[in-house]
Amino acid sequence: MPTLVSFIIVSAALLGIGIYGLSVKRNAIRILFAVELIVNAANLNFVAFTRYMNPPQVSGQVIVFYSIAAAAMEAAVGLALILVAFRLNSSIDVRKLNKLKG
Amino acid sequence: MVGIALEIPPDVTFVILTTITLLAAILALQAKELIYGAVALAISFIGIAGFFVFLDAPYLAMLQIAVYVGAVVVLILFTIMLVRREEVEPAERPEGGEGAVGLWIAGLLAVSIAGVAALAGPNLPQSIQPADLPISQLGPVLAGDYPVPLIILALLLSAALLGALVLAKVDR
Repeated sequence: MPTLVSFIIVSAALLGIGIYGLSVKRNAIRILFAVELIVNAANLNFVAFTRYMNPPQVSGQVIVFYSIAAAAMEAAVGLALILVAFRLNSSIDVRKLNKLKG
Repeated sequence: MVGIALEIPPDVTFVILTTITLLAAILALQAKELIYGAVALAISFIGIAGFFVFLDAPYLAMLQIAVYVGAVVVLILFTIMLVRREEVEPAERPEGGEGAVGLWIAGLLAVSIAGVAALAGPNLPQSIQPADLPISQLGPVLAGDYPVPLIILALLLSAALLGALVLAKVDR
């Protein structure tokens, strides 16, 4: 059985991939992908830590339950926002969404 | 750890799951076509669900597949179809310097977290305790210990649904 550290390393790698996408990508949908990856990295950490507790606990799983529901909401609202941005700007390139800049 | 790893040793399962999840995550961000990226994202989510099964959280694995693969990725696919007018993603390839900076930031962050975890390794629990976490144990904790967050979650879900509807509605 792998140790807790290996799960943390996988989670950190997933977080790194997410941060990379968040900082480099220009397509709004890809940025949403990156956010989802980061949320999943956090969820994996919660489940791993709660499983390795002594004795094993279930409260971390409850937190991940809430987190998954919150991430689903975030995706729904985010995609609706992307649709609105596309309708207004006919582009989902985040570098072009600078109307608020004045 | 019965069931999925009856014949395959756990370490091999872990390595396979890690490979699938991380490769699919990279592919989700780097695939040329957005649609392929969404499919790769779904595969990455399934890999995470595999990790949940691996960590004796089968209920979360089911929830992960139902919500992420079943709902979020399908929603993303529909949005991609609606937004597809621009076939080629505009200037998807970032400038060389910008991409390198992003890679450095992300790599530094991931390596520092992993390094701290590796340094703290001896103090972290090394061995896993035998699991006694039936799914039925989740319900009382969910509804008994955290009833208020559950209600707030329900309200938030309806609010988010209504908000998304209002945002995406076309005024005629």
